[in-house]
Amino acid sequence: VKVEAIDYGDRKVYSVGAFNRGVALWLSRLPTVWVEGEVTELRRQARWASVFFTLKDPHDGSCLGVSMPRGQFDGLRLELADGDRVHVYGRPELFSARGEFRLRALSLERFGLGEHLAALERLKRKLADEGLFAAERKRPLPLLPERIGLVTGNDAAAKRDVLTAITTRFPPANVLVAETYVQGPRAAGAVVEALRALCREGVDVVVVARGGGSFEDLLPFSEERLVRAISDCPVPVVSAVGHEQDTPLCDLAADVRASTPSVAGRLVVPDLAQLLERLDRSRSGLERGARRSLERERHRLERTHERLGRAPRLLVERNRARLEQFAGRLRALSPRATLERGYAIVRSGEEIVRSGRAVETGERIDVELAEGGFGARVEKTR
Amino acid sequence: LTFEEAQRELEQIVQRLESGEAPLDEALKLWERGEELHRFCKERLDAAEGKIEELAGRARTAKP
Repeated sequence: VKVEAIDYGDRKVYSVGAFNRGVALWLSRLPTVWVEGEVTELRRQARWASVFFTLKDPHDGSCLGVSMPRGQFDGLRLELADGDRVHVYGRPELFSARGEFRLRALSLERFGLGEHLAALERLKRKLADEGLFAAERKRPLPLLPERIGLVTGNDAAAKRDVLTAITTRFPPANVLVAETYVQGPRAAGAVVEALRALCREGVDVVVVARGGGSFEDLLPFSEERLVRAISDCPVPVVSAVGHEQDTPLCDLAADVRASTPSVAGRLVVPDLAQLLERLDRSRSGLERGARRSLERERHRLERTHERLGRAPRLLVERNRARLEQFAGRLRALSPRATLERGYAIVRSGEEIVRSGRAVETGERIDVELAEGGFGARVEKTR
Repeated sequence: LTFEEAQRELEQIVQRLESGEAPLDEALKLWERGEELHRFCKERLDAAEGKIEELAGRARTAKP
């Protein structure tokens, strides 16, 4: 098909038909894709070759006209009703006659809650097999984070809850907030980007917080890229998404799962008052310990000192006693002691007389007693 | 000489004296050395106590 313009001087002008054909030609080069949305305004008539409906984005209300060959549509026996969630496989098309853009459906699948859950379950199994949720991958949270990253919606109660919990427990906390979409088709990508931005800024823990919502509201938090971004995050991540009973996959990939945003806030900071109290206790323990060990050493030194003086004194006493004993024995051996007991020394000249035969009758002798002495003459020898 | 070394030597001296094996001359020399060591250890403990009081005082004034 060739799209010819008419030249009016230097102005190129297309007829409506040519313009539509040109755009249709360009659109026809786009690839065939899957599109998800809710079915509304389903129009089917027996005399029409095609069935028409409008596919509506439940998050932002965007609409897309869809047409599908009637025979094919009927063959599926889907019995679709307004509001049913479907996946449509098709390619964009321009209906030239009316200048209407729409999706030409080649295939159509109902995608309700059950399908969502099944898809989620498949993804969960796949990521679990890769080890993304493994317990040994969980990192401990820093005891005293320098800077905390918070990914949350811009006016979310979740944000307020996390911040309140953090500042109540630890007033000097430094929190870097990244506000982002937390719902709808843009949410997953936005959360991933926010995570990366926070890590670039430099934080040592990240809280991803989002309050409760419907199953579908929380779906972005189960998207593969978001779950992977959380598990790849260079710092520990605390996930507080939805309520206790919700378990989006990001909760499983996070290092810590908090049941509510407030709990997440309390988890990432220590209790300052408690911390100071403990520090104070440690300090007084330190002082007590030092004093105790000093006292112990003093006591030991004192006891040793007592023993030190006692031993040599005892030794001197013992030596003195022994000396006394010997002195006594010495004294006992001296002749004076013998004289004290009543003995006498008899001398003849200078010689001590030991035998009666050593003297003669009438000889002069000297007698020495303990006290003094006297001269005498021998009367008779025996 | 550290406090522990002095204390160890002092206790060895006391043990030697208490064993009664040292002759009197040696015992007196040991006693003298022991008194010297005791004085050294006591000075060290007094210094340590002073330090403790100083630190405790500083911690009390630093308290908010």
